[in-house]
Amino acid sequence: MERYDLIVIGAGPSGLSAGIEAAKAGASVIIFDENEKPGGQLFKQIHKFFGSKEHRAKVRGFNIGYQLLKEADEAGAKVELSATVLGIYQDKEVVVKIKEGIKHFKADSIIVATGAAENMVPFEGWTLPGVIGAGAAQTMLNLHGILPGKKVLMLGSGNVGLVVSYQLKQCGCDVVALVDAAPRIGGYGVHAAKISRMGIPFYLPYTIKKVEGTDHVTGVTIAKLDPSFKFIEGTEMHFDVDTVCVAVGLSPMSQLLKMAGCKMDDNPRKGGQVPVIDEHGQTSIPGIFAAGDVSGIEEASSAMIEGRQAGIYAANYLGYIEDKLMKEKEDELDKALDGLRQGMFAPSNRGKKIEKTEEGIDISNNLLAKGFVADEEIERFPGVVHKLGIHPVMECTQNIPCNPCQDACPKKCIKIGSKITSLPAVDESVDCIGCGMCVASCPGQAIFLVNENVGEGMAEITLPYEIYPLPEVGEKGIALSRAGHPVCIAEVVKVRTGLAFDKTAVLTIRVPKEFAMKARFYKKEKLAKSV
Amino acid sequence: MHELVDRSLKDEEFEEREDDDMLICRCEEITKGEIRRAVHDGMYTMAEIRRYLRCTMGLCQGQTCAKLVKGIVARELGVSPDKLEPATSRSPMRPTEMYVIANEEN
Repeated sequence: MERYDLIVIGAGPSGLSAGIEAAKAGASVIIFDENEKPGGQLFKQIHKFFGSKEHRAKVRGFNIGYQLLKEADEAGAKVELSATVLGIYQDKEVVVKIKEGIKHFKADSIIVATGAAENMVPFEGWTLPGVIGAGAAQTMLNLHGILPGKKVLMLGSGNVGLVVSYQLKQCGCDVVALVDAAPRIGGYGVHAAKISRMGIPFYLPYTIKKVEGTDHVTGVTIAKLDPSFKFIEGTEMHFDVDTVCVAVGLSPMSQLLKMAGCKMDDNPRKGGQVPVIDEHGQTSIPGIFAAGDVSGIEEASSAMIEGRQAGIYAANYLGYIEDKLMKEKEDELDKALDGLRQGMFAPSNRGKKIEKTEEGIDISNNLLAKGFVADEEIERFPGVVHKLGIHPVMECTQNIPCNPCQDACPKKCIKIGSKITSLPAVDESVDCIGCGMCVASCPGQAIFLVNENVGEGMAEITLPYEIYPLPEVGEKGIALSRAGHPVCIAEVVKVRTGLAFDKTAVLTIRVPKEFAMKARFYKKEKLAKSV
Repeated sequence: MHELVDRSLKDEEFEEREDDDMLICRCEEITKGEIRRAVHDGMYTMAEIRRYLRCTMGLCQGQTCAKLVKGIVARELGVSPDKLEPATSRSPMRPTEMYVIANEEN
């Protein structure tokens, strides 16, 4: 039997963060993870994270994973991989399957950070090969470099469905449609807009009627739902696809806590069965804590902060941190957590329809229903201005906790202010130098630089672009609108890829000036012809 | 402690439905119809359903289907799924081969 001060179960964002804090305080820590690689979901998150600069916004998820591993190593927290915890027994004895054997461990405190599992929804044909979770598709793409299929239909418009659709498209898959049974898109509008302008249509409120095929998926039929979630006859649409991705939410993997005897609560708002925890993340069993998705579904940024808090609480429980210092650290992290839980998508707003932004501006209904802000709606947002010369146009229209753009601009053209959820506004008194830092830094890819008149009746639009191989300067392709419709011919005049852009290329296209506020994406002509 | 299930909840006849042959628990190959029928046979809790049909007890240990099974049972009983107590969690938390368990260190 090996003994530690603290056993952490799960080496994802929250478990690693917890282990780091407790080890830094002096506790002996071991972190178990059943996977071959640490990081939980972080290593398949190739997109840039939202949030504040202090909490790693605009850093790609997998890079956050590397940072955490390094930190854990420096703090002296041991990470044991391919180590499946089979049970938590009396007096905090933990039984672990490590490779081909069983080992026993004991600790004075345990932090359970086991995360969550994907939900499924049954429909005719759901067990056919080719129907997979969106998370599974992401694992195949980003960890193993395998395409799950060539033509994909995505069910679910939460952030997972939106982000994975974008990544499928980046890998060259044809995403034929994004379908959700809810009447409104569930995830961030900027994520939806990003895939809309690539030409992926949204169908809401629709759901899958049946998946066709004998030994694998060959097609799918969707149909529209009435307000009582019944199919409306005659609205069926068929798509030839080889893959159906399902992104219909997550459920906490809380079985270990239940087995340990912790008091549980079945809470649909938290995604399912979660442990009852106090304000310090402690369960009904003293010394056993829970952090991250296992205590209620949120996202990775808040899981990391919750993890740090749990690590600090456990260190205090173990006697390594005094109450006063714990309180100081706790207050600081509470503030950060509060910041992330603000805005339109705050946990307290789940399921509510928000009509106006915090600034009192009407929310774009088109964005919620179709995935893009309509031409007649876009002008009312503070990031959209018109002036002579090059200037940023920020199509950021929902209050989300994110502010990297404010610090990205070396000229301080962009203002969000102290409230992290405020919509970015343009300071018109300062001249934009067109450096493109804001364009590349926006995790929602919602910032464009527009020069509405470069002479000869032309305008230039600078946009974020992440589809490789990159276009070449001088080539001509199609400019697409926010809805993903072709609007005009566009010539690529600049392609910038700096280290600071972190693999988001900053592309400048030239279009007739009447399309300056319409063209928002570039499609290579060869691809355009093949469709 | 969850409320005791009212055993008089389900007295109407079992009615066949179009999607009864849809697989719900793929590890143990249990259909929606079998789960619905089990409720009419008097299985009102997740523990009873499990013992009666073995659903949620296969390779995935209910990771995929537990929520679906619970939803079907709840709908059949006409109660909200959070009123049904989830099945007991037991070790081993993941399916484990016997030879691995035999390799136990003390």
